[in-house]
Amino acid sequence: MTRSLLTLVVVGFSLTVVGPPLLAHHSESAEFDQSKPVKVTGTISRVEWQNPHVWFYVDVKDESGKVTTWGFSNSPPGSLMRRGITKAALKIGAVVNVEGSRARDGSNNASGRRVTFADGKNVFTSEGGE
Amino acid sequence: MNTRWIVPTILSATLMLGATVTSQTPTVPRMSDGKPDFSGIYTAPSTVNATGPRGNLIFNADKMAPVKPGAESLLYQPRIGDARVDEPRAVCLPSGFPSGMLYILPIQIVQNPKHIVIIPELQRAARIIPLDGRPHREGIEPSYYGDSVGKWEGDTLVIDTVNFKRWILDDYHYTDRTKSRWHSDALRTTEHLRREGNTLHYRITIDDPKIFTKPFSQDFELTHRPDWEEIGLLEYVCEENNRCAGGNCRESDAQ
Repeated sequence: MTRSLLTLVVVGFSLTVVGPPLLAHHSESAEFDQSKPVKVTGTISRVEWQNPHVWFYVDVKDESGKVTTWGFSNSPPGSLMRRGITKAALKIGAVVNVEGSRARDGSNNASGRRVTFADGKNVFTSEGGE
Repeated sequence: MNTRWIVPTILSATLMLGATVTSQTPTVPRMSDGKPDFSGIYTAPSTVNATGPRGNLIFNADKMAPVKPGAESLLYQPRIGDARVDEPRAVCLPSGFPSGMLYILPIQIVQNPKHIVIIPELQRAARIIPLDGRPHREGIEPSYYGDSVGKWEGDTLVIDTVNFKRWILDDYHYTDRTKSRWHSDALRTTEHLRREGNTLHYRITIDDPKIFTKPFSQDFELTHRPDWEEIGLLEYVCEENNRCAGGNCRESDAQ
């Protein structure tokens, strides 16, 4: 894989135009800011396939080699399973591009939305992405 | 005009019309006692004819009754930075009713002639509702889900619930980070459930005389999903990954 694939691609802070808010899983709109999209490419380093929300972590390396770990909160396991997404979809070590909304608290947490794998396939990991 | 096609055409049109009419009057499955059978797994409730935020998590402003003078402080709880107050479910405290009923996860209904059991996947907080005509229980502590009794009015199931403790009403705080919305201990809810084919019409009436000038109702629909029966409801143990135990956590760790 190329170094650029492991590079933080975009951390956008631009305001986006939104329609009527879609109330998504748990407190997505309360604790994650949909006007602060985050998009990273990195390696899945940990998966918590648990209730009340699936969390997975992506190690993102910048051009200086520094690794930053991003945590992504997603729908509960049951919701993902009913949409055909199982734990097997999120493999440790897989290179993924993840889009989501950044935490309002300024941490490296985000609400996950679209996860795109190296082969181009993608899944939506929260209701907000549907 | 070739008249030999007239009769077949009329006949076929009549048959199509008949098929259309038939599809518009879906049958209702019934229990052995003749009552409608609501058993099955349903989608989460979705709002009907409501304005405001999409989704099923909050009561819509255009449906709500006016707030009594001076009752704003009972209805709205300012955000204080403690998840146990700002969003109790975030620390795995009970969602309660009606909040837990209106969440985005599926619901399963289990029914027999004496009881109907409504089980939201969220927190798996089963509401066991007697249908045998008994009155509300007396002498028990107010609770998050209240005390429910049900009865049939024709093909409509009516559930009356009282004896709530003051608790969060809905997920209003998803849309306004400055405060959450609560009901009082005087809350009384009335639910009307009526099945039409795979649609479960669900109306909830909120009567909270300490807060509102009059009762108000909002309509929702749930869709029966037989295709979800094979998987069934899944476990939901919030404590499994409670990232906010005790309420002391970063905001984004709240569940």
